[in-house]
Amino acid sequence: MDLFNLLVKVAVFPGAAFISTYTYFVIWLERKLLARVMLRIGPLHVGKYAGILQVMADFIKLLGKETIVPSNADRALFMAMPIIAVGIASLPLAAIPLDEYWVIFRSDYSLLYILGVFSLYPIVAALTGWISNNKYSFIGGLRAAYQLVGYEVPMHFSLASVAILSSSLNIVEIIKKQSNVWFVFLAPLSCLIYFISSLAEQERTPFDIPEAEQEIVLGWMTEYTGMSFGLFYLAYYVRLCIGSLLITALFLGGWYGPPIMPPFAWFLVKSAAVIVFIILIRGAFPRVRMDQLLNIAWRILTPLAIISILATMALQAVIGTIGW
Amino acid sequence: MSSLLRVNWGPQHPITGHLRFILDLDGDIVVNAIPEIGYTHRGIEKLAENRNYLQVVPLVERVCNIDSFNVSLGYVMAVEELMGVKVPERAQFIRTIMAELGRIMSHLYWFAIFGVAAGLFTLIMWPIADRELFIDLAEMVVGSRVTYSYFTPGGVFADLPDEFDKRAAKTLAYFERRIGEYEVIFLHNKLYQLRTMHVGVLDSRKAIELAVAGPSARGSGIRMDVRSDEPYAAYDQLDFEVPVEDSGDACARAKIRLREMKESVLLVRQALNKLPEGPIRVRVPPILPREDAYSRVECGRGEFGIHVVGQGSDRPYRLKISTPSFRNMSALPHMLKGARLADLPIIYHSMDIWPLDVDR
Repeated sequence: MDLFNLLVKVAVFPGAAFISTYTYFVIWLERKLLARVMLRIGPLHVGKYAGILQVMADFIKLLGKETIVPSNADRALFMAMPIIAVGIASLPLAAIPLDEYWVIFRSDYSLLYILGVFSLYPIVAALTGWISNNKYSFIGGLRAAYQLVGYEVPMHFSLASVAILSSSLNIVEIIKKQSNVWFVFLAPLSCLIYFISSLAEQERTPFDIPEAEQEIVLGWMTEYTGMSFGLFYLAYYVRLCIGSLLITALFLGGWYGPPIMPPFAWFLVKSAAVIVFIILIRGAFPRVRMDQLLNIAWRILTPLAIISILATMALQAVIGTIGW
Repeated sequence: MSSLLRVNWGPQHPITGHLRFILDLDGDIVVNAIPEIGYTHRGIEKLAENRNYLQVVPLVERVCNIDSFNVSLGYVMAVEELMGVKVPERAQFIRTIMAELGRIMSHLYWFAIFGVAAGLFTLIMWPIADRELFIDLAEMVVGSRVTYSYFTPGGVFADLPDEFDKRAAKTLAYFERRIGEYEVIFLHNKLYQLRTMHVGVLDSRKAIELAVAGPSARGSGIRMDVRSDEPYAAYDQLDFEVPVEDSGDACARAKIRLREMKESVLLVRQALNKLPEGPIRVRVPPILPREDAYSRVECGRGEFGIHVVGQGSDRPYRLKISTPSFRNMSALPHMLKGARLADLPIIYHSMDIWPLDVDR
């Protein structure tokens, strides 16, 4: 029975079926919302309402495209990389609880697990850039690696204050601790730092440096066509969804909310709000440069994250004494 | 040399246009940038020798199709000088109005591409949508939308329609408000300032040495503008300011163009108020005399010069065009040396180089 439960969770909710549906709507939302920011209309005709089936149509189109492998590339790795990318991108989902019950992988150290698998993705990017054997891909892969150096430290520091506040590394426990007050109110600085560095982690504007179209075509994905590109595209949005779910879980109180909706619906609504915010940022800001990102990360975010840790420790001591 | 990475940047690339750069990269730094032009060469100067001087007007417009009013004005003025024709006052004012509308359209197009060069895709949509209003204005007068052939030797071929005043006033009022919005989302955007300030700096001495033209030169603190230095059309009867910025970086060049658009709005308003009554065209002789004439106008991209040689028939003997983009192109290898790869599109597009204009 346990095995059956696990299989249902992996395959349906909160596993594969759920995340693909959610990603589908996020892709549609991004295209529609960004179009409205740009004074365009966006997808309109495919599907009954507001081009809702446009994304499906595009994926079907991608399936029909020829997959071209560059003659100098490592063929086996080149073909395997998109599938590996989607796999690695969706790994963190295993430890994200959409509800107290609906979680695939329970562990007392699930936060560490998530941090670990989330940082695997830039390695996929760097490796893909290397095996494509194209100069643009190569530069893009190197940039992905550099970016990892930039955002990783402030990101982990900002999560340290979450761990301090909840005295736990278990995400379920972290969310339960937020039943009264969300951590965004207790550690706003950490939340901001985490948000900024997660933008860099997901390669979102203004930190989409590894795939900067204007400089290096499509960065480390330049050589990919057809469905193998489509899978990278999917992985990109899966990471966006999981990143927003994670922010919701760590700072925005997870499934807690007034009892007008079921808990997991609250979870989704909050993460959708985060995604809308990320999309609007894409509509308003240009891309920063690699050296500027490193500057921001090391000179501003890292010291602030340390200050935030100290502040959180003080706060935790106060909360401990008054016994809240 | 083995530690350098040689990258081919263009011509099939999302942002270069029909141009190619051969880059030597040392890490993220551009050590050497060799521009390669000629992908859009159409031989316009040679083609012009086989057409009569009226047929050359639509041909010359293709030199810089995005700014066709100003370019054709240059050619038409050279032909008039050759023939010794005096253009009626009303035609001069109408020419000024249309040339300024053309400048706004050209700058809006530049603005769209410059925004994308830094990765802000919203900016390719907003200015292009606003440009549509000016295209509509031009369509109302001329009937066509991009290449107009509106100026003819001796004047303009059609008068302004009756309701042009009202429509233009409406469009200009709307556009003035929009420029304010652009300044907020663009010039005052901290990330944009981060990307454009102190990037691609060209000091005024170097700019003079490299013969940089137009707004790019004015961004380096050189006060030169054919409209005020050697007034043509009706510019001598209108008041306007030539914006100059001293810092010489990409941000200064962007500011110059935004300020120029504001100035153009005021110019069109002034010209519409002062518009005299009278004929719009005079008759011109059917042949070009065996002489030569040179005229220069201030295009959206800078000084555009055209030399026409007549041979006593209706066809020009020789046409020689000097374009602002070509002059600015020659400054690029100098400016790109030592720049970062990510700054390359910004520096390149801050000079407003139009490949068609470079190649002719």
